[in-house]
Amino acid sequence: MSALPLQGVRIVDTCIYWAGPMATMLLADLGAEVIKIESIQRLDHLRLLGGWPTPDGYEWSAAFNGANRNKYGITLNLNHPRGREIFKSLVKIGDIVTENFSPRVMENWGLTYDALKKINPRLIMLSMPGFGGTGPWRNYVTFGPNVEMVSGMPTISGYPDGGPMMTGYIADPAAGLMGAVAVMVALQHRHRTGEGQLIDMSQMEAITTFMGGPIMEYVMNGRMQPRKGNRHSSSAPHGVYRCKGDDQWVTITVSSEQEWARFCDAVGNPPWTKEPRFRDNASRLQNHDDLDRLITEWTSQREKHEAMQALQGVGVAAGPVLTYAEILSDPHIEERGFFETITRPVTGTHPYPGFPAKLSETPVTIRRPAPTLGQDSEYVLTKLLGMTEEEIKQLADEEIIGTEPQGWAYSMEADEAISKLKDLHGKDA
Amino acid sequence: MPDQALSGGRVLDLTHHVAGPYCTKILADYGADVVKVERPGVGDPARSMGPFPGDNPDIESSGLFLYLNTSKKSITLNLKSDAGVEILKELLKGVDIVVENFSPRVMPGLGLDYETLKKINPGLVMVSISNFGQTGPYRDYRATDLNIWGFSGILYECGEPDREPLKMGSNVSEYVAGLYGALTALSALYYRDEGGIGQHIDVSIGETLHTMQPSMTLVFSMAGFVRQRAGIHFPWGILPCDDGYIGFFLPTQTHWESLCVLLEMPELIDKPEYETPMMREERRDEITAIIVSWLKGKRMEDIFHAAQELRLPLTMVPNTEQLFDMPQHKARGYFVDIDHPVGGKLTYPGAPFRLGETAWQAGRAPLLGEHNGEIYCGRLGYSRERFAKLSEDGII
Repeated sequence: MSALPLQGVRIVDTCIYWAGPMATMLLADLGAEVIKIESIQRLDHLRLLGGWPTPDGYEWSAAFNGANRNKYGITLNLNHPRGREIFKSLVKIGDIVTENFSPRVMENWGLTYDALKKINPRLIMLSMPGFGGTGPWRNYVTFGPNVEMVSGMPTISGYPDGGPMMTGYIADPAAGLMGAVAVMVALQHRHRTGEGQLIDMSQMEAITTFMGGPIMEYVMNGRMQPRKGNRHSSSAPHGVYRCKGDDQWVTITVSSEQEWARFCDAVGNPPWTKEPRFRDNASRLQNHDDLDRLITEWTSQREKHEAMQALQGVGVAAGPVLTYAEILSDPHIEERGFFETITRPVTGTHPYPGFPAKLSETPVTIRRPAPTLGQDSEYVLTKLLGMTEEEIKQLADEEIIGTEPQGWAYSMEADEAISKLKDLHGKDA
Repeated sequence: MPDQALSGGRVLDLTHHVAGPYCTKILADYGADVVKVERPGVGDPARSMGPFPGDNPDIESSGLFLYLNTSKKSITLNLKSDAGVEILKELLKGVDIVVENFSPRVMPGLGLDYETLKKINPGLVMVSISNFGQTGPYRDYRATDLNIWGFSGILYECGEPDREPLKMGSNVSEYVAGLYGALTALSALYYRDEGGIGQHIDVSIGETLHTMQPSMTLVFSMAGFVRQRAGIHFPWGILPCDDGYIGFFLPTQTHWESLCVLLEMPELIDKPEYETPMMREERRDEITAIIVSWLKGKRMEDIFHAAQELRLPLTMVPNTEQLFDMPQHKARGYFVDIDHPVGGKLTYPGAPFRLGETAWQAGRAPLLGEHNGEIYCGRLGYSRERFAKLSEDGII
């Protein structure tokens, strides 16, 4: 195995759901040894959210399996004093502790930064609750969708004739990404000075930094951006256009007069492209509805890839709207080797998206699939903490560690679960 | 200047527009010395994009530029001249990180590919951010945020099923790619400083956006279906109330029960038709109608606090104006005022994360070429005569 940038950095990770686990996944990708802590009393809830109502459904959550690769997974009941004692032993030999509970959780366990720093003076701790560690909302509960909701993004997003829109998921992984950046900033400081520190990251504050443009527009001119669908405030055409086939679309964005001229060439310079109402950008913005209708006459006669090639061939920004099935066989994605096919116990062999950047000297790959519940407890407790077989057995007897979740009572057959999920959310690829 | 987390780090910033500048803004606001190299005369194209105060275009007062380039120094340099390229090579000495987001042919075309730069500065970390990456059949394709959304798979499942797929209103893909740039730059720097060597990092904006929904290809592979575009429906919701919108995501049984308490309709908990999450999703239109009618006449903030008392993950959905009034932002002092000689005193989004021992500090964005003297004469030691000659020749 080749070297990785964060080799030798150890992270003790209590994060659950998605934002925190995404942060530690990225750090694990980059080579950190991440010890992910769950308990048989309390699974990482992402196992439930994306999981199936089947006997081993907690291992089938695509969301969990997609956000926890390259980590070691242990169970440890932190509600038990012995569990917290073991946690502290891990902190002692670790570099970084990560958590994304609401702030009262770690406080109730007595596992605050001040307490942990006494055990490990060089410790860095990433604390990333929804609203941050201080302020009147600090203990409020949030999921990723809530963070997206309070960021201001939904009210400037949506169809012009509809209400605010959101993706429902982007805030979690984006906040996780910011959390990983925060850890690297703190690690850089520790490398230079030897000093660890607490990172207080409000996911809401992190995501609100994506609102720079609309916020500056309000601050400067008192204007709020209207919901404008896929349109652009200052250039046209800019949209998603229907192509040949069922639910097939191409994106087309023209950003300059030069690009408009190329666009006209690509669609064969029909007479309407020369009409005064489309003469310049300002006119096109004004007559965007008509423009869209005429463009759709052209796109709807073509496959989405055909439309992309005709437009990109003359230098117009255009691309297909790919489904998650199509991405897997996209020639560009394939040539860059973005997806990696990994075999995981229980779920089998599947393609997973890889790391979205290529590092020339320290290539990042998926070295381990997401852990099954408690998969590495024994390894971590014996190899890292020097516990004996007997001690491990006793911990299992006292249900401080384990591999079977408590209270998981689902019994549906996998086929039935898949067909129900498909009825609710899906369609054939 | 107090010590900051990235103090002492030197960054040469060849970026423009959003993705690259956001990457180097993060580094600069946490203390790195970032020197931004801009085209003489016009600078970063973001300087020509709005918003502008009073809608008066001025390359020194673009809101987008001012926000994305805090804490940086600006120098001008014409990279289309041989002399400019040679000066850039001098600037590279002593630099830890260089970040660029040109299209992939530009840097090699200027004779500034990583192999060449590495010879000048062997420890250099170079980050290249581009739409589709430095390799592959789409490498030269043009793209904006919307095209990237389509390519990433995220666009297809966003929006209403009977309408066209819908992108979010902010340039999310570029911010996300910028963060990946910062993450990999700092990781590569750490690697180098721990005894490794410098390296080149190729960030694909399209791939970075795909990682914001990393499980849907896996759903397809495991279960054989593609998630349908479904709008925002129960157990999600963004619904109107008296003075705005409230939003929620209520995935569990406990949430459902608390919601029924909030709605003052505890009898719904025992209603057999609503017994399981799947059954509730099947009857989501009914449930949504119940919530909508309850929300009528109620205020956003009152609903928010009442729900949170029940530990329900329900929040307000503020518009841009309402962001500034949120008590949590006020209490934590999130928004910061920054004065700028041309743009004036304006309120900016603040720190994305707070470090216990070292400050986040956003200094104002630079004027175009503001630091030419400091960098060329001070750092590179050029004489006044040479400096004047370079200006005359349009190199700087």
